Amino acid sequence: MSAYAGPDTVGQSSEGPPSADHESERAKEIAGKSPMRIAFGRLARDKIAVVCAFVVLAFVLIAIFAGTICNIFNVSTETVLASQYLDVLGGGLPKPEYGPPNGGFTIEHPFGLAPRTANDNLAWWVFGCRTSLSIALLATIFASVTGVVLGLTAGFLGGMVDRIISFVTDLFLTIPFLLAALTLAPIVSERFRESPNYPQIQFYNLIMVLAVFGWMPIARLIRGEVLSLREREFIMSARVLGMPTGRILLRELLPNLAAPIVVTISLMLPAFVSAEATLAFLGIGVTESPSWGQTINLAVDFFEIYPLYLYEPLLGVVLLVLSLNLLGDAVRDALDPKTRR
Amino acid sequence: MRRSKPLAVVAGAALFALAACGGGGGTSSGGGGQSREFGAADEITKNADQAAPAAEIQGATKGGTITVELPGDPGPTDLDPTNGWSVTGNSIQQALTSRSLTQYAKNPDTGAMELVPDLATDLGTPNDDFTEWTFTIRDDATWENGETITPEEVAWGLCRSMDSTQFPSGPGTEYSQQYFFGAGDYKGPYTGKDPNCDKWGGVTVDGQDITIKMAKPFPDMDWWGAFMAMGPSPLGKASQPPDYGQNILSNGPYKVESFRSGEELVLVKNDQWNPESDPARHQYADKFIFKFNADQNKVDQVMLSDNTASQTTVSTQAGSNNYERINSELGDRLVQQSSQCTSFLAPDYQDISDINVRRALAWAYPYEDVWLASGEVPGVTRVPANSVMPPGMAGKHDYFADGEQFTYNPDRAKELLAKAGYANKPYPIKMIYYEVDPLAVAAQKQLVKGMEEAGFEINDIAVQDDPYNVWTNPDDKLNKTLNLRGVNWCSDWPSGLTMLPPLLRTGATYNTEQFSEKSIDDEMDKITGMPLEDQADAWGALDEKIGTEFFPIIPTAFRNDLFVFGSKVGNPGGDGAIGAPYYKGLYVSK
Repeated sequence: MSAYAGPDTVGQSSEGPPSADHESERAKEIAGKSPMRIAFGRLARDKIAVVCAFVVLAFVLIAIFAGTICNIFNVSTETVLASQYLDVLGGGLPKPEYGPPNGGFTIEHPFGLAPRTANDNLAWWVFGCRTSLSIALLATIFASVTGVVLGLTAGFLGGMVDRIISFVTDLFLTIPFLLAALTLAPIVSERFRESPNYPQIQFYNLIMVLAVFGWMPIARLIRGEVLSLREREFIMSARVLGMPTGRILLRELLPNLAAPIVVTISLMLPAFVSAEATLAFLGIGVTESPSWGQTINLAVDFFEIYPLYLYEPLLGVVLLVLSLNLLGDAVRDALDPKTRR
Repeated sequence: MRRSKPLAVVAGAALFALAACGGGGGTSSGGGGQSREFGAADEITKNADQAAPAAEIQGATKGGTITVELPGDPGPTDLDPTNGWSVTGNSIQQALTSRSLTQYAKNPDTGAMELVPDLATDLGTPNDDFTEWTFTIRDDATWENGETITPEEVAWGLCRSMDSTQFPSGPGTEYSQQYFFGAGDYKGPYTGKDPNCDKWGGVTVDGQDITIKMAKPFPDMDWWGAFMAMGPSPLGKASQPPDYGQNILSNGPYKVESFRSGEELVLVKNDQWNPESDPARHQYADKFIFKFNADQNKVDQVMLSDNTASQTTVSTQAGSNNYERINSELGDRLVQQSSQCTSFLAPDYQDISDINVRRALAWAYPYEDVWLASGEVPGVTRVPANSVMPPGMAGKHDYFADGEQFTYNPDRAKELLAKAGYANKPYPIKMIYYEVDPLAVAAQKQLVKGMEEAGFEINDIAVQDDPYNVWTNPDDKLNKTLNLRGVNWCSDWPSGLTMLPPLLRTGATYNTEQFSEKSIDDEMDKITGMPLEDQADAWGALDEKIGTEFFPIIPTAFRNDLFVFGSKVGNPGGDGAIGAPYYKGLYVSK
């Protein structure tokens, strides 16, 4: 094996490009940067990545300050008695004085009202954003922690442990996600339906379903990376020095896996956002709190006469998923040493 | 008859909506849209003299295929006539494939429905106290295989209807097992291990006559005879359930070409059907295709497009979101039909024992809001109800249980609650709702909002299953803890007998409020023994008495259906007897 650490590792072991010219000013600059800093620099120069990062940041701020935003516009997600706002014989659409599609936009309800229920669209949109992002974020955290732990253990320990973990991973990969979610959700709902915390249980149940069926790709990826890394000299030397296994895993292996983990997570987030919307569309997501998927499901019927009602949640999902995906791609490009120039 | 859609609790009504919203509502429908108001259904009369064959419908032509879309309706699970109690199954099969003792026909001049003979030559002859009925079976009616229908086969069909274990969802469980001789004792030919029905003395055959013996006076046998369960079945093994339900022998103008439960039923002409033997059915179209569980929005778009396929299509429902467009663009081809149904809230009679609380519930239910949220068109598909008996039923009293028509009036609800001792604390209500349907969830939210403003505290439990499975199961743990349930009920024939006893008799399956008063039970028994001409009024009076004295069950809505007919479907119209399109008279115009 060559002494050069190779392009696919970052962290303590790499000693920088051996052919660096110490005389030139530029070379000095490069030599002084950590790989993460290089990646950030490249990310900052990627215009699409910057725009996407701002969009994502905006969504995160909307999600965090959903309550404040609703207060500013004086709207809320509280149920109102529908008949006072809706045209009873006009297909249950809002009366013209309360906004589209038959009237102009009003300041009381900037995004209009939902047909049939007279829910305020803006309030439901911002709280839908909160639901969407918090579910996706928590599911990503659970899935990636599980995946990384199992991947590291399987890859490093090998043998029987590896075989068992790989079998479990393959087993979970064979279970069709949608089918499992469609089966599990009603069972859990039925078990806890009488609990006063039913809405929270439903929320965490969804996170659990997403996480339980989302950790396998990252576990496989990490296991593969670990398999190739553990034969490397710096791991061997750590072993020879008598470093405990836990320390090797955390201090030697994990930092070298930062790049693949970041990339997987950044692509997992948008996948979970759309999975949440899909499940809500199918009627098994959260039903007790606002959700984009749920609104899309209700709005499909009204597309022809009240398209705005459908466009609002669609815009949310599409914009968020698209920006997260593009950002994830940019992060991968930035972290990929093979594209280093 | 039970409505298949489990939206019972969320179904309310509001005619006042029409008046209240007339000004601000903004009826922006342009063109030929007609404003629809709820017209009470015509009374159904008897016409024993209608003779076969049925009079030709003016302008009717032969040939073509009629497609019937049934949005959101799963249809029957099997086609066994004995098991058919749903509005959908019974309306299709009784009209097209499976004949019975009597049937309904539309009077071409008045448009009203009439009870006319079918396999029997007349509407039956009762003895003086209605404990024996004799029907003479026609000798010229045939099965699809060409064989003549014998009185023995009709008797066998009647005997099958006694088997409530084999046919738990059949109408026989309510009527045969309640009124026929041996009710309660004879378990039926399959459950009672009596494959030839020798042990039952309920029906005797004498030549072409069959005589039915009753356990107690049953004056409505002629109406009950219009159920396909009161028709013939092939003797012995040939009609063994459950196989027979997938492969029935037809005797109407059409026979089954293919049937996939929940998807599709295809009927084709039965060339062995003898028009000379049938006073009401026709055989104009070559083929009927019934498509179950269709997507409502898709069907609405198909009907609106008026393309070649949709011109010969019938839809049994119109979406409220497209109602305005359909109403203005299709005009007369949108038919509103009273479905002889009432929706109820059913407060537990033992738990909510104070009549003031039950009245308060009626004032606290946000009728119109619940409706909008559940996708109904207030004033068109749902109107406010005042009595158990639906409009158009003979003898119905126009009474008001608390002085005037119930509307959403939280102040009045609070006053009544104060009388009941709940002036300063909310009255606790525990109920369930169907979480799988987003419209049911939205409607439940409206209900909670409205009721909480009126002084109630709602603990609502989401269920994943048809709420009827909880409400009608006395052993269900959750059900025991509920104090507010619901039920939708449609009359099986236009008599109070099919509304009051199934909903209010002690121990009846759909008595979900668990109402039980000995005096009322006795009165119901007494009415069935009264002279026929007095019964209708007696049922109406009993309805009023129960409503004003006990108020055990809160009528929230009378229900209407909207049918959409393609432009080439001739003779579009509804069947007021059953709440379905009038399949018997449809044809494809050229």
